[in-house]
Amino acid sequence: MSDTTLKNGVNALVEQIDSRVASFFNSCVHCGMCADACLFYTETGDPKYTPIHKLEPMRRVWKRNFTFWGKLAAMVGLSKPITDEELKEWEPLVYDSCTLCARCPMVGPVGNDIAYMISKERAGMVAAGHAPPGLKGATVRAVEIGSPMGATWKTVQAQIRHTEEDTGLKIPVDQQGADYMAIMSGMETVNFPEYLGSLARIFKQAGVSWTLCSDAVEATNSGIQIGSPDIAAELVQRIVDGAEKLGVKYVISPECGHAYMAIRWSGPNLIGRPYKFKVIHILELLDQLREEGRLRTEGMEDERVTFHDPCQLVRRGGVLEQPRRLLKMVASNYVDMPDPGVWNWCCGGGGGVSANERADALRIKVFSRKKAQLDAVGGVDKLVTSCSNCRIVMEDAVDAYNLNFKIFGMAETIAAHLPSDTKTAESGESSS
Amino acid sequence: MKKQTTLGDQLRQRGISRRTFLKLCAITTSAMALPPTMIPRVARALEKAPRPSVIYLSFQECTGCLESLTRSHAPTLENLIFNSISLDYQDTLQAASGTAAEAARETAMKQFYGKYLLIVDGSIPTKDNGVYSTSAGRTNVDTLKEVAAGAAAVVAVGTCASFGGIPYANPNPTGAVPVSDLIKDKPIINVSGCPPIPVVITGVLAHYLTFGEIPALDRLGRPAAFYGESIHDRCYRRPFYDQGKFAKSFDDDGARNGWCLFELGCKGPTTHNACATTKWNGGVSFPIESGHPCLGCSEPNFWDGGGFYRALSQTTAPVGMWAGAAAVAGAAGGAAMGAAGRRKRAAAKREHHVVTAEELKKKGKEGQS
Repeated sequence: MSDTTLKNGVNALVEQIDSRVASFFNSCVHCGMCADACLFYTETGDPKYTPIHKLEPMRRVWKRNFTFWGKLAAMVGLSKPITDEELKEWEPLVYDSCTLCARCPMVGPVGNDIAYMISKERAGMVAAGHAPPGLKGATVRAVEIGSPMGATWKTVQAQIRHTEEDTGLKIPVDQQGADYMAIMSGMETVNFPEYLGSLARIFKQAGVSWTLCSDAVEATNSGIQIGSPDIAAELVQRIVDGAEKLGVKYVISPECGHAYMAIRWSGPNLIGRPYKFKVIHILELLDQLREEGRLRTEGMEDERVTFHDPCQLVRRGGVLEQPRRLLKMVASNYVDMPDPGVWNWCCGGGGGVSANERADALRIKVFSRKKAQLDAVGGVDKLVTSCSNCRIVMEDAVDAYNLNFKIFGMAETIAAHLPSDTKTAESGESSS
Repeated sequence: MKKQTTLGDQLRQRGISRRTFLKLCAITTSAMALPPTMIPRVARALEKAPRPSVIYLSFQECTGCLESLTRSHAPTLENLIFNSISLDYQDTLQAASGTAAEAARETAMKQFYGKYLLIVDGSIPTKDNGVYSTSAGRTNVDTLKEVAAGAAAVVAVGTCASFGGIPYANPNPTGAVPVSDLIKDKPIINVSGCPPIPVVITGVLAHYLTFGEIPALDRLGRPAAFYGESIHDRCYRRPFYDQGKFAKSFDDDGARNGWCLFELGCKGPTTHNACATTKWNGGVSFPIESGHPCLGCSEPNFWDGGGFYRALSQTTAPVGMWAGAAAVAGAAGGAAMGAAGRRKRAAAKREHHVVTAEELKKKGKEGQS
């Protein structure tokens, strides 16, 4: 059994070693600077968490298969092939202690994208059967039920009903030819229903033509997290089919970091063709509406507010200034933590770590980095972010550390300040 | 011999207020890359420090280094400290000449034996028994060895004293060598540059007075605080380099727009010095800011680097037939390796194993059991 799975794993690694990975391994100067960029290293001090070390199995496969000296050493028996035990040993390093936050590529002197390489290494690990049980379960649910959190269309329908009652607005579903199609992360469907209501109210005020799609609501891509390109492509394809069937111009990525990365950047490569629509992050859309004067707010909060930049938005997505411009519309006491924007530290639970119960204790431990960032500004009353996964991970840690502030999503923060006349719009009216 | 007054006394006599003095200490502390908490310590040490005895020997040099130090924009800490040390021998500056001058040197050496600082400016000729540069009838080699024997430390000022400089350049007719080739048993601080930045030498002196030891040095014996980073890394034109915007000649649009001077031979990437941050003439400018490439004057062998206006990426020696053949062989080898790699990947693609939910479920259970 393990012979075939090991062969599958090594084969997948060979397949994943593209010219970028090869040149990254080649150009690594072993400076070790990536260690200090990684919160798993800084918070534990354990050198095994040095990012490049997490790539050791893949590096050995590269050396043995793609380099002159590696091939020669293999030929005369000086190097041993990778074993199943070694892959097993590396599994926690590859899945539990890397959130694919991509902070390490920012510091390396030769620009090696270690996060990109880890996601490729995961392809080999999962093909060899070495992925965490929690992440496997989430991926199975994503493929079979349609959501890693187990939320079905029925769950969404119930949420739509509640939201329509709360807001008095009709949530448009399967509207052919709408401009925007919204998708949601499973986390929003299950834990943060306020997101949907906030969208409805903001879009009503701004006059945005939008819709949900009953075939494609789930934005989270567990395939990307576990590292299987096949499953990742299948999940992206569902959204692409839904959006192209409805003929929308844009798909709105929700407040979720990896969902954004998956649908916007990885998606076309995974399915092998360009989309017939564009992908826009909800923060980009809100900021665009603000700029066009279609998003109006009233009232300022004087609480001390800060913003947690989700890794995939700043380091992979360039959504940097939008949240700050939006927050300054409604908060008079906005403060940036040290290392804001592209240098922000991860919440500790991205890249599938939060779906992996085995990593819970480590994830809580490394939150001390975020705590230090918050301590440096003397604490805040309110933390806003635009990733429901960051949010749930931080809410968890706030309990564990006995911290005293509340966490909110961006859309609901803005929606809370919509002028009152649009808050109580008459029910039954379609917003499209 | 002068009485042992402290530096604090000297400054007060010269009408320097304590506020000004503390300000100067802060500047020096930050120039030395020390934490701000060190400012009071630097101030205390400088104020209490007896004026150190300094013997300044000039060998094969052009006096440019001394000009740089003494004619730096005034009144600055460089000037103050430099005027406030007990400069007991400097053959260019001192009024005494002949045997009187040599007697001053001998007296200072006797009085402060083991404690005085020796500053050396210029390289030392060794060929033909050192006859190419002599003073008071003695060769530079002899004078250096004698004075260095009683010194606490030697500061080699300028590239000639540090690395040999221009006299050392090919074909080196006088057999010139840097101080470090002759003196092996004393700490040597190389303050290289042609000439060096004035604040660097005063920084070294201030550090020595404050901590009683020489500052951290880089692998070439230069104070790491000043020579730790390359000109290129701190250059304000660096963004143009990163964008690939280069001036191709001194009068093209690129030059007028202030683009990177790399292709005009700038040695900034391989030169370690503080010019790009400290600048010259009181922070007015530095060569690159004036539109000229860095010559690399603070690096060893800068004169033999194959032309100031030749880009670093060009070779200094003619590329022969062998190099061409090696390049062709290398390219062919690389292409063969690349093709082999591609074949391997293609084979792996053919054997691609699709990970399914079924499989994950099965193994998920295994993993949990």
